[in-house]
Amino acid sequence: MIYLDNAATTKPLFNAVKQSEKYLLCEYFNPSAKYKQGIETKKSIENARQIILKDLPPYFDVVFTSCGTESDNTAIFSFAKRGNVITTSGEHSAVYECFNQLKMRGIEVRFAKVLKDGRVDKEHLLSLVDDKTTFVSIVHVNNETGGINDVNDLSTAIKRKNPSVIFHSDGVQAFGKLPFSLSESVDLYSVSAHKIGGLKGVGALIKKKKLTLAPYIFGGGQENGLRSGTENVFGINVFAVAYNEKQANLRNDYEYVLSLKELFLSKLDKDVIKVISSEFCSPYILSLSAEGLRGEVIMHMMEEYGVIIGTGSACSSKNPHSRILKECGYGAKTLDGAIRISFSALNTKEEVEFAVEKLNECVKKLKGIMKK
Amino acid sequence: MKKIIIVRVCEIFLKGKNRFYFVNLLEEHIKKALNGVKFTLSKLQMRFLIEDFEESDYLKIVEKLKKVSGIHTISPAVVVDSDYEKIKECVIPMCEDLRGTFKIETNRADKSFAIPSVELSRMLGGDVLSVYGKNLTVDVKNPQHVVKIDMRENGKSLIYTQVIKCVGGMPIGSSGHGFLMLSGGIDSPVAGYLTCKRGMKLSSVHFHSYPYTGEAAKEKVITLGKMVAEYSAGMTLYVVKFTKIQEAIHEKCAEDLMITMMRRFMMRITERLALKHGGQAIITGESLGQVASQTVESITSSNSVVTMPIFRPLIAFDKLETIEIAEKIGTYETSILPYEDCCTVFLPKYPAIKPKMDRILKEEARLDVESLIEEALLDVEVIHL
Repeated sequence: MIYLDNAATTKPLFNAVKQSEKYLLCEYFNPSAKYKQGIETKKSIENARQIILKDLPPYFDVVFTSCGTESDNTAIFSFAKRGNVITTSGEHSAVYECFNQLKMRGIEVRFAKVLKDGRVDKEHLLSLVDDKTTFVSIVHVNNETGGINDVNDLSTAIKRKNPSVIFHSDGVQAFGKLPFSLSESVDLYSVSAHKIGGLKGVGALIKKKKLTLAPYIFGGGQENGLRSGTENVFGINVFAVAYNEKQANLRNDYEYVLSLKELFLSKLDKDVIKVISSEFCSPYILSLSAEGLRGEVIMHMMEEYGVIIGTGSACSSKNPHSRILKECGYGAKTLDGAIRISFSALNTKEEVEFAVEKLNECVKKLKGIMKK
Repeated sequence: MKKIIIVRVCEIFLKGKNRFYFVNLLEEHIKKALNGVKFTLSKLQMRFLIEDFEESDYLKIVEKLKKVSGIHTISPAVVVDSDYEKIKECVIPMCEDLRGTFKIETNRADKSFAIPSVELSRMLGGDVLSVYGKNLTVDVKNPQHVVKIDMRENGKSLIYTQVIKCVGGMPIGSSGHGFLMLSGGIDSPVAGYLTCKRGMKLSSVHFHSYPYTGEAAKEKVITLGKMVAEYSAGMTLYVVKFTKIQEAIHEKCAEDLMITMMRRFMMRITERLALKHGGQAIITGESLGQVASQTVESITSSNSVVTMPIFRPLIAFDKLETIEIAEKIGTYETSILPYEDCCTVFLPKYPAIKPKMDRILKEEARLDVESLIEEALLDVEVIHL
């Protein structure tokens, strides 16, 4: 199998799972327990916390959650409470649906337009910010197109207009993949473990220390009372080891994945397949469209060759068309044929060559069948 | 006092000398439906009594019985000795939650009981009013609640207030074995349910067009099939790979006849499978004029390729009427999931609404119908639901 749907989830890193196995089989103690074993388990979580924070400025802290979606929800519902709040129309549903919920609760929600490659239209975004704006959330890397928003630059520009704005970014497709650091103008940043070789069921909200979250899960007061519930010790430790490994190889992986994407694009038959992603997009994500055909059919045809690709965000595959690509301004023909190729550093050049060759073949074959 | 469930049959009582065949068949299906639950079953004239079950299984039993064809209604009841004081002890607590108007209705099969029916109802009504007079008034003509007392000849009385409507119809198997053409849509599961209701045992056939339709579409059909299977006392689903046939039609025949041709192939394949596996009829979810393939001309075209009877229980149903039943049997939510259906790929822009038979035959002659069918029948997936 050639797996090219790594933006949906990626293979857990063997080393990370192996190294943390002791928390499943031996050190399975409750981190809240006061005996030595419990305290040791608690220490492993604190150690993991420091690993996640190690490349970030010292004014950040981390709250472990169950996923990126929970991190987004916690950030948004803690601070988007009054005045007007702004996000982009190309957000992942984990943010987009929160803003729809805010709208239903009577809060003024403003959606900034997105460009053809999924990045936010900065001019439009800034025109929406006024002295009543309290909260802004901008995705770091668009999960369908890979469009990279410069969150440091955007948050600085926003705060120049209104310094009291709280700025959040969904960094699920960027964290552990792109080389970056967070500037002081970013207040909250959501991340997820399973996109970088960790496990499903673990995420984190990186937040400024001075910000107080409004928890909505109450109980035993874990995570400083911000997220109650017995911690996912194994998952958190796997997350930390996976992140460590990813960070250590970040630049190499980035360059390598970029070469995979370029190889893919160089062999892609652009006469039959349109490229949606631009040069400003993450190398990890490549959005394409076999216009006039159905992305799902191409996905199944590729499956026959053992190549797994995506048809857009897995979280929204229940809808026939991608909301995000629609917001980017594409028409029905492009939306019908949309597919998403997403790489990982585990993919080989041979795999990519095989996949692109088969994709060209499948699209041409299907065009032939459907041409009548 | 003991809890039981009274099961009433539907129109089996209309049957003459064959009645016992139907009753025994229904008994078999009740036992099958309640497989895994501890209970005893006895017959009381044209009713069944389900007894000796665990209290915690009660709701499970009711839900299972509601899906057994041939059962008209069921009533959860209590059994007590036919003694005035004991009956009263049961009746009063049963009325605790009732509000509005009520009446007590007594059926005294046990004529040895000293108090006549009307008098007993009147006395018990008075007893209920003395306790719950604030909540209840008597209305013997059109009451909101009826407390029924059924005094049996064995010295026992069955007392109940609730009558739960079930599927009705005839026991499964009493009307033969049909092959349902099951798509992922709203109509075919309803057609299957209605046919089960008349006692027909079902198998089903689904046409799958991978890669034009995916695994999710097949899983959806399997989920729908399982729901229909509950009414059919189990069901076998035959999944036919239809891609090659669709591609051949698309390549060689006129575009507007795509659906007409597909339907003719589907009918032929379903009939062949039915003949092989003991089927006696084909069942479809067609409704007259609903779509291009369901006009009288299109139906004539697909009808003409088989000799087996085709049942179309929804032929005169409006879509909303079908949706109402789909919601009732719980298939609607699954049917509206948006996965592609084999009918929706290769959809022509302008399908023929009134296809002419001579043109159909001419177009079909471009295909090697027999070998396409034979090839499809060689690789049929069989799933027991």
